[in-house]
Order: sequence, then structure tokens, then C-alpha cells
Amino acid sequence: MATAFMEQALEQAKFALDNLEVPVGCVIVEDGKVISSGSNKTNATRNATRHAEMEAIDVLLREWQSMGLDQTQVAEKFAGCDLYVTCEPCIMCATALSIIGIREVYFGCANDKFGGCGSIMSLHKGDTSSSDDLSGSQASKPKGFKCTGGIMAEEAVALFRCFYEQGNPNAPRPHRPVRTPQQ
Amino acid sequence: MAWELIEVPGNLNPSLQDSTVDVLATKIDPKLANTLIRQLSQVCPLENLRHVKRVRRRTECGGKSELSIILCVSTGSEPCSIQFSEDLQKIVDTYQLSPFTAKVAKYCATSKEEWEEQCKLWPTSYHPAHDLDIVRGFQEEELPSIFNCMKTAIQLSKAGNAAIIIDPSSMQIIAKATDQTHKHDTPEEGNTFSEANADVTCSLNASTDNDCNLSLPGSFLSKRNSLNMEISCINPWGWMRKRTCEQKPLPCDGCFAWHPLRHAPMVAIENAAERDRTMFPSSTSITKPDSNGNPENCCDNEPAKRLKTDTKDNEQSSSESFRGDLSETSRPYLCTGFDIYLVWEPCTMCAMALVHHRFKRVFYAFPNPVTGALGGVYRLHGERSLNHHYNVFRVSVPEAYSNGLKYCSKEC
Repeated sequence: MATAFMEQALEQAKFALDNLEVPVGCVIVEDGKVISSGSNKTNATRNATRHAEMEAIDVLLREWQSMGLDQTQVAEKFAGCDLYVTCEPCIMCATALSIIGIREVYFGCANDKFGGCGSIMSLHKGDTSSSDDLSGSQASKPKGFKCTGGIMAEEAVALFRCFYEQGNPNAPRPHRPVRTPQQ
Repeated sequence: MAWELIEVPGNLNPSLQDSTVDVLATKIDPKLANTLIRQLSQVCPLENLRHVKRVRRRTECGGKSELSIILCVSTGSEPCSIQFSEDLQKIVDTYQLSPFTAKVAKYCATSKEEWEEQCKLWPTSYHPAHDLDIVRGFQEEELPSIFNCMKTAIQLSKAGNAAIIIDPSSMQIIAKATDQTHKHDTPEEGNTFSEANADVTCSLNASTDNDCNLSLPGSFLSKRNSLNMEISCINPWGWMRKRTCEQKPLPCDGCFAWHPLRHAPMVAIENAAERDRTMFPSSTSITKPDSNGNPENCCDNEPAKRLKTDTKDNEQSSSESFRGDLSETSRPYLCTGFDIYLVWEPCTMCAMALVHHRFKRVFYAFPNPVTGALGGVYRLHGERSLNHHYNVFRVSVPEAYSNGLKYCSKEC
């Protein structure tokens, strides 16, 4: 089952690659059904925070708000959702997933530069501190989520390899020459 | 208490004892040094220890110098000969070397003091920045404008956090934003690209001598001294408890009535990206529509929304053309070289977003002891694995200023 969803996430990553984006893709699953998907759009938007996870989350927020769901109801919805993403969520996305309160995350390859689900930080573990500090009283506790890595990791890595061979058109200069995309 | 700028270090008390690597080294005949350096750098390059010098020279009491060379990184297995590759073993045999274990610094030194400590173990290289100010991350004469920018950010913050992106080379406001995690009663102000541009520099150039003219928001004042749970970065999970009293349909296409992830720094980044796309539209060619049509891609409502704002902002960009240097070459890569001013220290999501967006410096006024990523709880900017690093500063705001108007009005 996990690989079927990961295959769809990989489709999203390939879509990103075709658009000269860093190839990361994801799907969000509720009750065994894909209800949202996203692919990395950092180059097109020139917004380095538009990772696949953020795109997929926004699709749902938009949809659920247009249905008239309020914050509590949306939180309940997210609590029943799982994310399948081709690469370990970065520290930003891992925090975001914790903030929206996703139930479970499955990822492909690890992200040893800025992974937030075990590689560099472990934000999926939620509140691990013995926080009876000044925060404890009012702030809601950090939410953790179950996290499983290594699902179809080789396929995810192969896409990255493709991308870096063709060169990142948006990388700061100097960088390797960009191979013009073949039509 | 006056305005003050305090650098927030990326790592606390970096202890050399905790950050060393064991290597296998051997004493060598100085005549062999060149040959061995060449052979070893081929057979066993020190990949992750580029700051470590291969050879150590020590002067003995007799004035004679003694040379030692690193063979390889030690894995700790005994005897050490089993750690040698075939080629390395050959070298050891040929020159009849007798290896010993030594410790070297794991990381490149970040200060002269640290470097001197490292060299006591084994020599490393250290390249101090040419200008002392670069090491400090700011110049003395910048201080008034830095404090000014922070004042502008504080004034912008109403119920939540506020963010202002500045190009320090021109002191131009690139973008600004406030928290948009939940709908406030007051209309959102200053959250759009066009509005940010409307008062470019004027608010920054305004006289700062007379702080009494500044109207600090009441809610800010009352919560200044206790932890403010309205701040998205301090209470990121607080959104779930909120209920909008009256649930209205979406205010406009693609907009959100509320959004758990729209913390002020995230919104500011989005506004900066929108400015980039508007001012340098020619490079949109990198987005090509998927000719095959991808039915699974349901995120394409984003470009549609952009299209709308783009047409609206066309006037804007033509009025901007007086700058005249908006060629592709002057287009910044994300926020490279820019500063961001935040009233409150960011959470890990926002701090990582600032890394992704390549900011040069981050200034915040008030620490975030709950989820702060830049000193409050974590020190993300000291994380060596990241592909970009910014400097972090806390701007200490005088009590008199943050206690605001009533104090001021007496004085005036």
C-alpha cells in the first residue's frame, strides 16, 4: 500500500523535474484515498519555501475553508491524514507538518543536509522536553507524528541525480552550465 | 538602558574536547615529506578534514624540528594496521613508518582563539575575514539604521509578530508582513507587496530622535512582558483552538481566511518572492506548462492567482522603472544579501525558511523561549550541515521605548 502512494508521490516529483524544479513530490492520504498532491515549485514561484509539502497542505486548506470548516474541524481532518513524500521533510516542512498535526509521514530518501525527521533535527518526535517551563501553562504542546523512511528511496535519489546532471537553472552563479531542455 | 545589538552565537561554548577526530599519524624524515604528502593525498585524502594540515612540525629542545604526517582517519580498530588500505599499507611498509594515534579538530575554526586552541592538538588552517566588521556581521555606523528598522518592525506588529525585509545596500524595504495565522478584526495592513513599496525608505528615513511620535500598539505593550500567545512563532499549535466567530466563505480566490503556517516571516518571504516575480518578470520562462497535462497535479491554482496579481502590479513595476537597473543580472537570488527584522524570534519552520531564502542577517527583538530556533531553544544557524548560514542578532529594546506612549507623553 505504501509503495502505491509513494509511486504517486514520485509522479509528482517527476512533474517537478520536467519543470526544471528540484524533484520532490508528495501526496496526502485520507482513508486510503489520495486527497491532495504537491510538487516542489521553488523556482517557478521564486519562493524557496514552496516545497511539495507546503503546496499539498495549501490545497487542503483552501478546499476545507471553502467548505466552511473552521480551525478545529480542519485540525481534526489533518489528524486523520498521512503524507507520502519522496524525500525526508526539511526542518521547515517537518515543523509545518507538526503544526498542522498530520498523523503519519512516510518518506523516500533521507535528507542529510536539512532533514527535520531524524537526519539533522527530530521534529517528528514532538514535545520531548520535560517542559514545565514558563511555556507549559498556555502554549499548546508540540505535536509529534509517526515517521517511516526509506520507502522507494532509490527511485527518489535517481530523480535527484537526473536533476543535478541537467543543472539547476536557478542556482546562484557560478554554477555548472545548464543543459537546455529537450522538447 | 539604551538600544543595543547583541550577536546570538550559532553554538554555545564550542568545546574542543567534544569535537575532535582521531587520526593515525607517523613521524617522518623531513627529506621524505614532499614525497609522502603527494602519495598520501592521492591514496588517502582527508575529505572531511580540509582545514587540518597534513603535516605537523614541532621544534624539539635541541632546536631540531620533528615532522609528523597524518596517514588516515582512525576508525579505532586495533591493531591500527587493519585500518590501512592496500595502498596505504604499501607506503607504511616501504618507509617503515610506525603509526600513532593523534587528535585533530573536527571543524574549521571560527575565531583566532579557537584556531590557536586547535593548533595545540594539530595544526589547522584558518582564514579570518579580511575586515573585522565582517566577522562581527555589522558595522558601527549601521547601528542607527538597524535600530530604526527594528522600530519600524515593532510599529508594524499589532496583535502578532511582524517581519520586514531590507536590502541593506540601499536601505530599501523589500517586503513586510504580519502574522496571518488567524483572521484579525482589523484589516490586514502592510501585507502586500505594493503596500510595502508605497512607503519605501520613507519610514526608515524618518527622524528617530523623537520616539514619542511612535504609536505603539496597545496590545503589544500590555503583552510585552509576559509571553504573548498571540505570536504565531511562540504558539504555533495555538491555531487549532481558534474558532472564527463567523465563518464566511473565502474572501477571494486563492486567499485564506486563516492559515496555520502563515507566520509573519513566511508571509514576508512570499511578498518578497512576489516582488521578485513582478520586477523581474522575464525569467518566468523557466516555468513551462505541462503539455501532456498531468491530471494529478491539482496545485495549479497557484499560478492562476499569480496571474491576477501580476496584471494588477504591472503599473507598479513601470513606476519602479526609474531605478533603471532591473536587468536580469541585478536580480537577486532569493534574498541573498538581505536582512530580515522580526519582532519575535522565529520558530524552526520560519528560521529554516530564512535559511532556504538565503538571508544574510536576522535581527529579532524578543526571544522565543518556547520554540525559538535562533537561540531561544535551538541554534539552527550554528547547524553545520545546512547549505547556507546567516548571522543572528538580538536587538535589545529599551524599557522606556517598549513601555511606550504613556511614559513618553509625560516626558514630552
